Amino acid sequence: MILLQVVVSGLLMGAVYALFSSGLTLIWGMMNVVNFAHGDFVMLAMYVAFFAFTLFHLGPLEFIPLAALLLFGLGVAVYFGLVRHMARGPMLAQILGTFGLALVLRYAAFWAFSANFVSLPDNLVGGTFAAAGLRIEASRLLGGVLALLITIGMHLVLTRTMLGSRVLAVAEDRNAAMLMGIRPDRMQALAWGVGAASTGVAGALIAMFFYISPTVGESLALIAFVVVCLGGFGSVPGALVAGLSIGVIEALSAYLIGAVYQDVVVYALFLLVLWVRPQGLMGTT
Amino acid sequence: MLLEARDITMAFGAFRAVDGANLDVNEGEIIGLIGPNGAGKSTFFNCLAGDATPTAGTIRFAGRNVTRATPEEHALLGMARSFQVPVTFEDMSVADNVMVGAFLRHPHRHEARRAAADVLAFTGLATLAETRAGSLGTPGRKRLEIARALATEPRLLLLDEALAGLTPAETRLAIELVRKISARGITIVIVEHVMEVILSLTERAVVFHQGRVIATGAPRDVVEDPAVVAAYLGHHMKRVRL
Amino acid sequence: MSETDLPRNDNANAMPAPAAPPTAVRPVAAAITLERIVTVVGFALLFAWPLLVQDVFWQRIGALVLLSAISASAWNLLGGYAGQVSVGHAVYFGAGAYASLVVYTDLGWPPIAGAPIGVLVSCLLGLVIGTPTFRLRGHYFSMATIAAAELLRILAGNWPLVGAAVGLMGPPTPRSIADLSFISPLPYHYLFLGVLIVLLLLTWQMQRSRMGYYLAAIRGGDRAARSLGVPVLRYKVYALLLSATFTSLAGSLYAVMVGFADPDSALGILISVKMVITAALGGAGTLFGPLVGAVILVPLEETTNAWFGGSGTGITFIIYGAIILLITRFQPGGIAVLWRQVIARPQRSAAAAESASHAA
Repeated sequence: MILLQVVVSGLLMGAVYALFSSGLTLIWGMMNVVNFAHGDFVMLAMYVAFFAFTLFHLGPLEFIPLAALLLFGLGVAVYFGLVRHMARGPMLAQILGTFGLALVLRYAAFWAFSANFVSLPDNLVGGTFAAAGLRIEASRLLGGVLALLITIGMHLVLTRTMLGSRVLAVAEDRNAAMLMGIRPDRMQALAWGVGAASTGVAGALIAMFFYISPTVGESLALIAFVVVCLGGFGSVPGALVAGLSIGVIEALSAYLIGAVYQDVVVYALFLLVLWVRPQGLMGTT
Repeated sequence: MLLEARDITMAFGAFRAVDGANLDVNEGEIIGLIGPNGAGKSTFFNCLAGDATPTAGTIRFAGRNVTRATPEEHALLGMARSFQVPVTFEDMSVADNVMVGAFLRHPHRHEARRAAADVLAFTGLATLAETRAGSLGTPGRKRLEIARALATEPRLLLLDEALAGLTPAETRLAIELVRKISARGITIVIVEHVMEVILSLTERAVVFHQGRVIATGAPRDVVEDPAVVAAYLGHHMKRVRL
Repeated sequence: MSETDLPRNDNANAMPAPAAPPTAVRPVAAAITLERIVTVVGFALLFAWPLLVQDVFWQRIGALVLLSAISASAWNLLGGYAGQVSVGHAVYFGAGAYASLVVYTDLGWPPIAGAPIGVLVSCLLGLVIGTPTFRLRGHYFSMATIAAAELLRILAGNWPLVGAAVGLMGPPTPRSIADLSFISPLPYHYLFLGVLIVLLLLTWQMQRSRMGYYLAAIRGGDRAARSLGVPVLRYKVYALLLSATFTSLAGSLYAVMVGFADPDSALGILISVKMVITAALGGAGTLFGPLVGAVILVPLEETTNAWFGGSGTGITFIIYGAIILLITRFQPGGIAVLWRQVIARPQRSAAAAESASHAA
């Protein structure tokens, strides 16, 4: 019974992982640029949710879209201000660029909000569900379900709409897409915007049941990398499956070995995947 | 027999890019590999160069089995190659590019530099020695590719469309260079589309079509072979699909 | 390329001159002399620094600059020259730091005696982590190094031998001179300067040798390098071992001077990031780039910390981050490239005249 509880909470968290990792895989797949600041985007979204609630008394129905919108703007700004120039540069520049962004975001948060944890009140989304012997916090349930729906929605939009197919076209072959009248710049900026927006939603969701501090970005970023590598970069369905899996693995590790080592398991798994099958579990060579 | 390729097959699933191709190259020859697009000559070439391992077949160089040898081992044994799209070391000077090749046989800097200088003079790149490789135009890059490969002192030089994309004047100069290389005793296998090059440069042409060798002989004869003409003009019944 | 006439000269096989003026790789003679003068003056300053400034605060900064220059120059071997951008170099630094403090804590040896052990451990770590990771391209390689470093940091935080989360300390009072526990920063300054000079000499020699060319070739393109006979994996490993060795030494020296190490201060990702930024700011892949980066960043960090006190750490890294963004956006080659552009500008016409005269 406890095991089921662990698995379920792992799945719910995993869905959130899947959500912001989908954003990363979209960005990554588009232009082969790794966003090392992705975790810090999530962190910023968490603070947006926190301040929206404490300063303006907005509820989740309001601060989730708000965070999504603000982060969307940030993503687009980062694309035009930094990434567009970076992508054509040497490898060192590409890696350093988003790293620099991560540092600025993280330590600006440090400086502005101090290193202390803050959190939203527990009863924001009322209570705990008890069903079939399981106890699940409503906020986690909401978070997981919403994350799942939005991730699936992202996939559908990408594969079933005109706009989505344009984005995918640029990801697949920039030049061919240009020849077909698609503007790669716009599509890439859109990808960055959507990718960042996914962190906006994820961060706002996590904020409802997690501690908020400037340093959460670091481990979240690594989880996103693991999920993207596992799921195959550029693949949202891959990110979904991988995200859920990582959530469960993390929860099981915490339960079986201890919370301290849960990250170790995830990182070790990451290294294993990179070494054995760099294209991910669902990717093609 | 310097190079011997037997029954080379390269299969990707059910599709065979190369299907039982054979090639014999004697020392000192200049051989041309020709064929329409998608005929498999580039894949075959990559197998010869060690960039790809054939699904079946053997390749022997100077008696040694090199079917599974790595590109580094190829260079050590005396098989050098140039790339179709030049991959010069952009940020290094022309001389330094060539030195990388020279270091294979001359581990010490001074000897490597001298050897590189010889190669630069031989290939007419001496005046551009200190130029950044990335600032050269296409003909310069192609020439540098060849110079770099020459610096490894090969017995066999594999040229992958090294003369494509050049103006007639540049092509003439390039042909001169290849002749000079051959005059030094280096065996050359060249993949080429440009007919002028094949006709004027090679002693023997090997024609690929759909992964197989369909004709081999003197260029003038091969070009008039009806099977070769048909392959180039294409029968609509047999379209090569990649 | 437009058709060009064959130049009338003896060399019938000469290439037609390219349409645009060729960009020279080596600066003209006058520029080289200027660089040499600056180098000599710079080193004279480094030597004389602690004697010029009587203030302990500034003397200490001098020593810290040199320490940072050692780690950044060590990183530079792998990340700059070989082009393999490792963002997990803290593992080697930490290994060196912890080795020194463990031999003191458990065996009572002077901490510096742990340095060779640290080097050994670092090299082993490098082989274990590096060999499979070198197969990965660009971003994947960097991510793998981050993951490996974080993994080891967490493990160290739970390993009693290295003091778990609390960390280890060095001798509170020096028991002999071998403990290298000095009150004044002066001895540290000259010790570090000595190590740095050895490292830079080694790097300089390497740069001019076959290894230097092969690493540059690997940076220029694996595939092309292999076709020329360069044993790519082997040379990457050589660069890694050299890099890990000196990074480990830097860690040991750090432990000797500071007398303390814990998972965050010795294995944290910021250690790795600092190394990368320091080298990149000055110019990754250049001999003095990391030193220049250290000269700029270390005083910056120390003075910011001094001014802003507790929250100083935050501001320092905002500045670091901003610097990286600026370099990335405008000049990924770092100061070294800026320098070349500045001194090359008045010389450009001279260079063009030189090459034109060669082609005539």
